[in-house]
Amino acid sequence: MIRARELTKTYRNTPVLRGVTLDVSQGTIHGFVGPNGAGKSTFLKCLVGVVHPDSGEITVDGLDARRRSLAVRSRVGYAPAETSLYHRMKAGELLDFAIRYHPSPDLQRGLQLLEQLEVPSRRRVGELSHGMKRKVLLAQAIASNAPVMILDEPMEALDPEARRIVEDLLRKEASSGRTVFLSSHDLYSTQRLCSRVTFLHRGRVLRDGPVHDLLKGIPGRLHIQFRESMSASRLPSSEGLEWSGVDINWQVRFHCPLEKVMAQIASLPIASVRDDGGHLEDLFEDLYQAEVGVDS
Amino acid sequence: MSLLRHWLRDAWWILLGYFIILEAALVAAILYWPKFNENIPAIANMVPFPALQRLVESVEVDGYWPYLAVQQWFKGCSLFGLAAAAFLTSGVVARDADQKTAEFLLSRPLSRKRVLLTRWMAASCLVIIPVYITSITAIWISPAVDEKLRWSDVLLSSTFMSLFLLMLVTFTAMISAMSSHQLKAGIILIGFILLNFAFYLIQEIDEISLFKTVDVWVFMNIKAGNFPWITSASYVGATIIMLLIALGVYSRRDF
Repeated sequence: MIRARELTKTYRNTPVLRGVTLDVSQGTIHGFVGPNGAGKSTFLKCLVGVVHPDSGEITVDGLDARRRSLAVRSRVGYAPAETSLYHRMKAGELLDFAIRYHPSPDLQRGLQLLEQLEVPSRRRVGELSHGMKRKVLLAQAIASNAPVMILDEPMEALDPEARRIVEDLLRKEASSGRTVFLSSHDLYSTQRLCSRVTFLHRGRVLRDGPVHDLLKGIPGRLHIQFRESMSASRLPSSEGLEWSGVDINWQVRFHCPLEKVMAQIASLPIASVRDDGGHLEDLFEDLYQAEVGVDS
Repeated sequence: MSLLRHWLRDAWWILLGYFIILEAALVAAILYWPKFNENIPAIANMVPFPALQRLVESVEVDGYWPYLAVQQWFKGCSLFGLAAAAFLTSGVVARDADQKTAEFLLSRPLSRKRVLLTRWMAASCLVIIPVYITSITAIWISPAVDEKLRWSDVLLSSTFMSLFLLMLVTFTAMISAMSSHQLKAGIILIGFILLNFAFYLIQEIDEISLFKTVDVWVFMNIKAGNFPWITSASYVGATIIMLLIALGVYSRRDF
């Protein structure tokens, strides 16, 4: 549904995208992850014609986003990260304005979504909180009825309950065949939501793949609280266990099966154990620490 | 809410202010005519610049028509029309860049050409229509001071002035398309106009001033049946060129 090949963009001699190549399949929720300044927003802006790439190919639904930008935008419901909006419009008016140029918008659905997300549709946009503006942007992307939704930081500024509702909404949209491509800093939400994730760093794709495949390579991690103060010398170090911590609170990272680790620590004075491994957050840390190491 | 309606909603109070000021200035000028007419020699002695003295002298020789031309088109439309153009047009592109709404707007299925042309046309109409309406009211009010105006003279003069303003509206739109700050675009227009007016007041270089093309002699010629076709065509040509530049810049710009 979305296809990019060797996409590049430079702003004032600073390369922002350096040959980005990725594919987003129809009906999936695809996460786009990276630290600030990685180039995520620039890439998304290239998709919707707000920014013009210098070179490379970029298509949405088979249409060249560079040459047929208008046709592409009619197939995309886009929610920008920027929440500076037309502040004198009411939320409902902004929703109407945002979707009216799409081929088959559903204003009623949009207004229902505003209600569901507890956004007063008659209140002026300038009077809405950051989180509420984010919800309006999300509602218009859904109500556009476009086959592709591109969402830049959709979870930002949302409270946990709103996040849950939004996640459910996006799952429902994807299950009905719509494609969702979203950028996010919230890796826990990304992991819950996305079937595939692309990691970007300094304009380059670092890793890309299905979430379950990416998680396979991630070391396990346990948070252990001991009944008494511990030192590193008292902790087992075989099987590649990596310990970090102090006093009674320690963390162990491991690549072997969990059972083997449990067997090794069974004799220690443990008060509690919490499994905190297998998250994209760990992969993110590993990937970006490795990159920082390479750069330095 | 459509693109046009949204644009007009933000602009209507500027339009209202512009129209009221233009009309009030015209009515006051017409009603002041008998007193002005009585004191022309004294006023001519008080006027400081040769360019302005020439305007007063033309009124002394030819009477009401040059007076009205100076008051309504040279002074009123130039001054207030330009202010309206600066307010209404400086934001056609720059306001979205300034207020960071460009990403939201331009990611809609709307071509940039459509956005710019819609706003440019709306701004042009808002600047030009009051020129016609207020000028037409001059036809109705003038008998109150025992003067009569011909419809054709008034409409042709308004058309000429409208083409001048259209060119300046387009100039502002072009600057706006290049700028990231609405205020900057407005200031550039005002600065450009002030510079031109300064040139107009200096006899040796007044030929290079834009105001020379809309001063009282042009309207005297229109009344005499000599419409300034070449100047008008130049305005239209400049308008088209600047509009194309604005479209070109806007379509290539990143936000």
